[in-house]
Amino acid sequence: MIQQQCLIQRLSDFKHHRRLAALALVLSLALVAACTDERQTGITTGNNANTSGAANEVTIYVSTDRVFSEPILRAYEQKTGVRVNAVYDTEETKSTGLANKLLAEKNRPQADVFWSNEPIRTLVLKKNVVLTPYDSPNAEGIPATFQDPENYWTGFSARSRVIVYNTNLVKPEDAPKSIFDLTDPKLKGQVAIADPRFGSSSFHVAALYAAIGDERADEFFRKLKANDVKIVPGNSVVRDMVARGEVKVGLTDTDDVNVALEDSQPVAMVFPDREGIGVPVMPNMVSLIANAPHPEAGKRLIDYLLSPEVERMLAQSEAVQIPLHAGVEGPKNIPPLASFKPMTLDYGKAADRLEDVSRRLQPILGL
Amino acid sequence: MLRLPSALPSARAITLGVAVALFLLLCVLPIIYMLGVSFVGGDGSFSVGNYRQLLIDARQRELLLTSTLLGAGTALLATSVGAPLGLLLARTRLPLKRMLRIAFIIPLVVPPYVSALAWILMTGSTGFVASWLGCDLLSAWTYSLTGAIIVLGTSFFPLSMLATEAAAWRVNGRLEEAGLLVASPGRVLWRITLPLIAPTVAAAALIIFVLALAEFGVPGLLRVRVFTTEVFTAFSALYDFGAATALAVPLLAVALIVGILAKLITGERLLATRRNLYPGLVLRLGRWRAVVLCFFTIILAASVILPLSALAIEAGQLERIIFALGTSGDAIFNGLYLSTIGATLTCALAVLLGYGRARSGARLRGLVDLLLIVIFAVPSTVVGVGLIGLWNRPGLLGAIYTSQTIIVVAYLARFVPVAALMLAASVRQIPVSVEEAAEVGGANWWRTFTRIVLPQMRTGLAAVWVVSFIFCFGELGATLLVAPPGESTLPVRVYTIIANTPPSEVAALALLQVGIILIPLALLGFFTGGERGVR
Repeated sequence: MIQQQCLIQRLSDFKHHRRLAALALVLSLALVAACTDERQTGITTGNNANTSGAANEVTIYVSTDRVFSEPILRAYEQKTGVRVNAVYDTEETKSTGLANKLLAEKNRPQADVFWSNEPIRTLVLKKNVVLTPYDSPNAEGIPATFQDPENYWTGFSARSRVIVYNTNLVKPEDAPKSIFDLTDPKLKGQVAIADPRFGSSSFHVAALYAAIGDERADEFFRKLKANDVKIVPGNSVVRDMVARGEVKVGLTDTDDVNVALEDSQPVAMVFPDREGIGVPVMPNMVSLIANAPHPEAGKRLIDYLLSPEVERMLAQSEAVQIPLHAGVEGPKNIPPLASFKPMTLDYGKAADRLEDVSRRLQPILGL
Repeated sequence: MLRLPSALPSARAITLGVAVALFLLLCVLPIIYMLGVSFVGGDGSFSVGNYRQLLIDARQRELLLTSTLLGAGTALLATSVGAPLGLLLARTRLPLKRMLRIAFIIPLVVPPYVSALAWILMTGSTGFVASWLGCDLLSAWTYSLTGAIIVLGTSFFPLSMLATEAAAWRVNGRLEEAGLLVASPGRVLWRITLPLIAPTVAAAALIIFVLALAEFGVPGLLRVRVFTTEVFTAFSALYDFGAATALAVPLLAVALIVGILAKLITGERLLATRRNLYPGLVLRLGRWRAVVLCFFTIILAASVILPLSALAIEAGQLERIIFALGTSGDAIFNGLYLSTIGATLTCALAVLLGYGRARSGARLRGLVDLLLIVIFAVPSTVVGVGLIGLWNRPGLLGAIYTSQTIIVVAYLARFVPVAALMLAASVRQIPVSVEEAAEVGGANWWRTFTRIVLPQMRTGLAAVWVVSFIFCFGELGATLLVAPPGESTLPVRVYTIIANTPPSEVAALALLQVGIILIPLALLGFFTGGERGVR
């Protein structure tokens, strides 16, 4: 009797195995189908990530805001017929950013090109051996300050850190002309800055420490804290607070202010420290990824991004970026590059301070 | 259980074994990988350097305390709103109940960051309230820990509501009826119904605690400094994966301690129920009806009507929303499609894990619960980087990594633990005896599981599917990292285009996102669920 039951049990178990095996088969087929499907639609599958250099596609990771960068990449597709696979992100908020994706993928890169909207991340990647040198012919004509002597990156179309103020609350002649004016007791509780550990705000503070030395910089931030500075998550938050009149002034980026200007908000901008330490100019940077799946296609895309044509498009877009090639017409309302002195002459030096400055500022600003 | 020696492993053992293996592969391995990374020093050798600096300065301890307070306050607020709502939905006769249920899910669908923006628009120093009153009374209170607790509490209470309602449906009606013979309805509610649903309510509170603990967008916007930001600083400012993972460990420890406390307080009240056709206790509101309706109105106004109106006013013209809709077609499709697959697979795996957990020994069960809550507390960025490290390899893994399948993998890695935790209560209440009866009757295990166990979990399963779907659809942290080139999901699209758009467009996009996710949920709500219990 027991033996008989045992047999029945085994038989039913066997039936189950069959059903489970069938299930497993169906699932794996579905998986394979999904993968092949992706391949057909042309998304890089990277099976032979490091060999197919001549492919008719290129993968780019872009941290310049998508609204500005996407039309440029679409134009390249139209012009050349090369398919551009883009991953967009923004360093604006506390996103972990594409730099982390590139670092995590270092052993098996998926991207060919990294287009960054500010210098710091590119230099972090250079330090971590994610990039490889490429000397583009189109880099000629871009001032040496905006090019890496070792060719790991090339700068193009620059933004600047700016002081933004609310025109209903501050008269143009009273607007701060230097970031050091932000410690004026008259502005107590009326200044907003983005968290200086992230995004372009982190570039600004690192560049400041590199430019004026630790002691003076520490002193400046202590005074700023004593003046009850509001530290907010991002540059667009700074702009919106100023536009709403929650604070009178703030530190943000040219393109952020321009968005508010196009939207007819009561704001205006000042390029700070034109007289003293110089204007904190931030170029876009483009780099070739080491062991990229499509290095040749990547180089062609870099050549395109460094062309005067792209600088013109970025200048005329709402990004209002300052062209670095001489002779390309700049955006309206923005002073040309030749009219002021940039604060940073060595981006590598500024980037080296990033980590140390982040740690220093935590106790000073109470982050 | 009736089991005879067999040379082959049983179907049950194989199925559960596969489920556990998948769970380890998808959810546990990425975390172990990252922990491994955190023990590697600069020169590539073993080092505890990343852990040496933890919590030694007063600043970090203070941040951790703020985070814990934020979590506890949010869990308390969300539970004290959500649990009564759930109970009322399950046990009273109310008009328009389905509509109400869907309306109360809306706050969970609005990304917390957007809710915070809406609150700032309402109560900030230049918000609507201040401009109506002509003076600023509320901004000091908005930009504070209290403000953050209120924003997160009103965002997360639907979780407690859904869990409580599902649990209240499962309570055996006969127990309550027996109680009603000798005691008043109030006493029956207090002494029978509530104790039986308490573990589920506590589990939901614990999940809300962890969600609030993981939040850094809302506290950042409301200028509250929390410990979680430290983890993101290590990633986005210092680019140090090892340090970031080490910094997540104190958060996991807090989740573990709170999890143990919750277990000690509620314990495990194991009272098996039969399939419940009707509840024994129907609360007759009588003169309390007005009070209940007032409570509903206040909650609805504070969590749905006011924030959405603030966003709608800010968004201004309808054409902004229509424009946003027109350009986001692929992202919307991807979001819905991937979240549907993600939520379904999450539930499938979680059901098996929850079943295995419920049928294992008490000690193991407790450990599994704690493991699940700790895994859920791992920051999404740590999970994302871990997934890249594991899946970006030649061969099949790499093929998955470079396709959209990896986004589903990320959903599973993030949400299987929490779904299993939520489902555990549902399985626990199904008596082993029904399975044994089926087995005696000749049904094999698979048949017993699909025909007897699953149908009894139906309400719980539906609630967990909805929550998983909402979580998957809103997932950003890990998706941003693993998403392959090409159009990603709607939240990623919204996120990558909001940085440089005016607040009005952000509001329009947020409303769009809420609308998109509500439509399938509303359809689901109207066509299924709610047949049982009190209409």
